[in-house]
Amino acid sequence: MSSITGDLDYALELFRDMQRENLSYIYRGIFSQKITDNILSLAEGNLTNVGESSTVKKRVFSIMVEGLQNITRHQDENLINEKDRTGIFVIQRKGDNYFITTGNLIDKNHITKLTGQLNKINSLEKDELKKYYKEVLNETEISKKGGAGLGLIEMARKSGNKLAFDFTEVTDTYSFFYLHLEISRSKDDARKDTDKEVNESLKSIKGLHKILNKENILLIFNGIFNQDSLINLLTIIEGHMSTKINLRKRVFNIMVEMLQNIVKHAGKGTVESGNPGIFFISEKNNLYLLNTGNYVLNSKVEELRKKIDYVNELNETDLNNFYNKSLFNFEIDSSKESGLGLIEIRLKSQNKLKYTISKVDEQFSFFALQTGVN
Amino acid sequence: MDALIIDSTEDTPQVILDPKENNFILSERSLPENAIEFYKPIFEWLNKYKNDPNKLTTFNFKLDYFNTASAKQITKILLFLENLAINHEVKVLWSYQKDDLDMKSSGTRFAKLIKVKIDLVEI
Repeated sequence: MSSITGDLDYALELFRDMQRENLSYIYRGIFSQKITDNILSLAEGNLTNVGESSTVKKRVFSIMVEGLQNITRHQDENLINEKDRTGIFVIQRKGDNYFITTGNLIDKNHITKLTGQLNKINSLEKDELKKYYKEVLNETEISKKGGAGLGLIEMARKSGNKLAFDFTEVTDTYSFFYLHLEISRSKDDARKDTDKEVNESLKSIKGLHKILNKENILLIFNGIFNQDSLINLLTIIEGHMSTKINLRKRVFNIMVEMLQNIVKHAGKGTVESGNPGIFFISEKNNLYLLNTGNYVLNSKVEELRKKIDYVNELNETDLNNFYNKSLFNFEIDSSKESGLGLIEIRLKSQNKLKYTISKVDEQFSFFALQTGVN
Repeated sequence: MDALIIDSTEDTPQVILDPKENNFILSERSLPENAIEFYKPIFEWLNKYKNDPNKLTTFNFKLDYFNTASAKQITKILLFLENLAINHEVKVLWSYQKDDLDMKSSGTRFAKLIKVKIDLVEI
């Protein structure tokens, strides 16, 4: 068994940044139909779990659909293997607003036309936008990639705000196109300008995207964990991994145990919806790093520490013996606990588990766990 | 005795317990959040079945994946079969996909731990 070199400090930094938001969810990679469907149901489920109103939910959902379609339509099969060229989808909730960002490669020759369309859309008032939508619908021949800007108009109408956008050069031929939308949760009919705040928020996403590319992070989910979100996350990662069956299954195994640990043991949640937590996964040279973060009761910290330190000290033979012993220990056998989860994670990863526990307040600590699989 | 059939979902296995056909199968994925609850009707059924079991019971585990919570319930099914084998003929098959080292090693593990013969079958 070897030791891994994942940077847990970096993980903690990311946790801290994201803890301030109630929800954020980032996917970076190939957007297949199956992955797209699961991204949508994961986000939809979470909007429900955080108790969002159905009006806001509908608006956010329809913008997500348009945005994801934009990415899949323009996804170039020949380019998506390069890690800085894969599409990105981000949804965040900050205070009273949702932000949805999509990013994909486009041919540089299309920048002028696209900029023109976006500026035109941004110059129009609500009623004009409706008229323009009909105009475009009637006049333009629909290109084989669909759209002709209809998706953009639709997103602008649904968001009620102007569209923030930016281009970043990637190669001589291609640029990365970012589209950033704000959706207010409060009722407000007037369309806001793409003000400084929105542009700042797009800038921070671009910065984040750089880090994601560097660390090759495939997915970050900061939200409510329950069995439904677990299934969606699993399906997304399964669809993403084209690697050989045994590595894929081990990642799958560990992911189930790590996420079910949050579902069953994490603090600060509710029985009806689930427990808050964060999960992210990165891949470098076939080493997958799986990270979870969640609240635990201060009173449970010592026990948790002991358990992890114990399985970390065992060699493979001892781990197997401990697994077998626990398998037949029916004194620990409840809906919450089988006593096997951490042993399984340690066995399947074949690496030591890295963790940190930091006290948040009188009641809770934050528990970050990292597992490496290769 | 009536058969117990439970259709699979994305996180629970397909269950077929059919004495008439001597068909006892647990297949696909088992990763429910609450494994105890899912397996409860299976144990209730098995506990009735043991009163008047078939001369030969052939139980086939054909799982693609199971979580640790399910591992314990699967152990309990195997222990049930171990008990049944004291007075009746019991055949246990552990089927796994070729290349699936994970399910193969789970089968090997159970074969070592359970006192009823488990045949590992590559499919």
